[in-house]
Amino acid sequence: MASKPDSAAPLVELHDIRKAFGGVHAVDGVSVNLYAGEVVALLGHNGAGKSTLMKMLAGAYPVDSGDMVIAGDLVHIRTPADAQHLGIETIYQTLALADNLDAVANLFLGREKLTPWRTLDDHFMEGQARKVFQRLNKNFTNIRVPVRALSGGQRQVVAISRALYFNARILIMDEPTAALGPEEAAMVGRLIRQLKADGVGIFLITHDMPDVFALSDRLVVMKNGKLVGTYLTADVTEEEVLGMIIAGRRPERKAQAERFAS
Amino acid sequence: MWRRTGLDLRLLLMSALLVVMGIAFHALSGGVFLSPENLYNIAQQTAVVGIVSTVMVLVIVARHIDLSVGSVMGFVGVLIAYLMYTSGWPWELASLAGLAVALLVSMYQGWLTAVLGVPSFVVTLGGLMSFRGAAFLVADGKTQPVNDEFFQRLGGGYDGGIGVVATWALTALVIAGLFMRLAHERHSRRRHEMALEPLWLDVAVTALPSVVLIAFAWTMNSYQISGKGEPQGIPIPVLIWAVVACVLSFLVHRTRFGRYVYAMGGNPDAAALVGIPVRRVTLLLFALLGLLVTVAAVVSIARLNAGTNSLGTGMELYVIAAAVIGGTALSGGSGSILGSALGALIMQSLDSGMLLLDVAIGRRMVIIGQVLIVAVVFDVLYRRRFGEK
Repeated sequence: MASKPDSAAPLVELHDIRKAFGGVHAVDGVSVNLYAGEVVALLGHNGAGKSTLMKMLAGAYPVDSGDMVIAGDLVHIRTPADAQHLGIETIYQTLALADNLDAVANLFLGREKLTPWRTLDDHFMEGQARKVFQRLNKNFTNIRVPVRALSGGQRQVVAISRALYFNARILIMDEPTAALGPEEAAMVGRLIRQLKADGVGIFLITHDMPDVFALSDRLVVMKNGKLVGTYLTADVTEEEVLGMIIAGRRPERKAQAERFAS
Repeated sequence: MWRRTGLDLRLLLMSALLVVMGIAFHALSGGVFLSPENLYNIAQQTAVVGIVSTVMVLVIVARHIDLSVGSVMGFVGVLIAYLMYTSGWPWELASLAGLAVALLVSMYQGWLTAVLGVPSFVVTLGGLMSFRGAAFLVADGKTQPVNDEFFQRLGGGYDGGIGVVATWALTALVIAGLFMRLAHERHSRRRHEMALEPLWLDVAVTALPSVVLIAFAWTMNSYQISGKGEPQGIPIPVLIWAVVACVLSFLVHRTRFGRYVYAMGGNPDAAALVGIPVRRVTLLLFALLGLLVTVAAVVSIARLNAGTNSLGTGMELYVIAAAVIGGTALSGGSGSILGSALGALIMQSLDSGMLLLDVAIGRRMVIIGQVLIVAVVFDVLYRRRFGEK
């Protein structure tokens, strides 16, 4: 697991990030940071720019301008592989699984373990996969069938395992509980708390208000590509959060929070 | 139980179909179809289409297509023959030059597809016409004879079998290899503390292809051209095809390249998001296609003893049909090398069988076209039944 929370420097600092598609400013000068062992919820309507911002951090889109600082180092993330090398893992809402491959192949996709002869070390990967899937779901044993044959919860287990197995220190979760039943959603909640305790920093994109208040330390609201505000979750009410999301109205007499003071 | 054997139901059904077809044609043709001579001819006639089909499977799996394979094969084939006959190059050098040109062509088409994002259907549809024209331009439409005796053996033909002793030795070697692989697999699974199937089941599953191999070797060793001292043995084109199929199966199951090709076909977005170098893999795939089209061109001109500008005309249809009959989904993401081999054999057997029965060319084309449709219908129903997309 990741190192213990380092209270000195933020794990992620995004400064004045911009991204335009055609003439549309999807992300327009947004600055956000994230500390180790912290969950920051990213909120906003569809099209507010939160997913685009996270995709830039994950290396899926290049940034137009702005700085990314990871654990104190200025970095240039151009590809998903760059992000992975920095310990940034992403769980996409679509789960980003190859439906025709089995769970083991998906867990290691893009990062296959090779034998000294440069061939796939299938047995090693299957053994490791079995262990990591077992941690999340004891009943998940059909790991060698194409993932299209799996339930929504099992597919989510595969997607989450990708982050878990490769020791994410920064985790981006896009609507992790949207497609899940109550029991599986509770499992994801427990997992987030566990990772947080291990010092992982988590960006949580969600529309689910109970999740925001149950899981996040701080929340960041975006609207039309711009940052509305960053607050301690404990400082604001659900009504105030909805006001920010819908109208872009900052709550009165509430201080913005650049970090979570624990 | 079924899953545990690791056998593919679809491939077994196709093998059964092939057997049924063989018996039916044998009865109808008055005992000619299953004769060693006819089987030898079918095997070596299928090789060219079979070689290109193996890689076409991967191209289709990756959600691309190549309609230009027949034209490029014609272009490269006539070029190699031209360099040997008109320019007097040795066959090795001529073949390497042909390979270089084939790689240039495939890199050009692959670059348009992978880097510029032009649909491969359009790129290779243009190529289908352009490279047929190029095949004409090489020797101004004149046929280029191929006289090198060693080179001619690559095409099968009179001296194109490897002989009795080599056939049995090779068969024994391959069967030994199959069982050694089984032993290694079981050892490795034990070491990783994974579940093992009962020994008898594993042995039975490995014995099945071994029996087929022995039957094949025996048949090829039973064919003796009249007036020749020794039976033929396995034809060299079939040997080349077998090696190509084994290498590609290895790529598919044991290397990153193969896994990425399937991942890109299964979910292109996911492939990009997890950091698979999609462009590089696509370019590699096209390069592999160029290599195997060259191999097919060499076998082809060696078999015909000449390179002509019409070499490989219409072959793209047979190649794609073999892949599709073999269970390759045109929507991408699924298909197997062994399936393409069975698909190619089914088509060639059907064609040869009808030829033996004196079915006219028009009827043969109508029937083969409809068989292709039947294969796709079966594919759609099969996937629906087994819950694939």
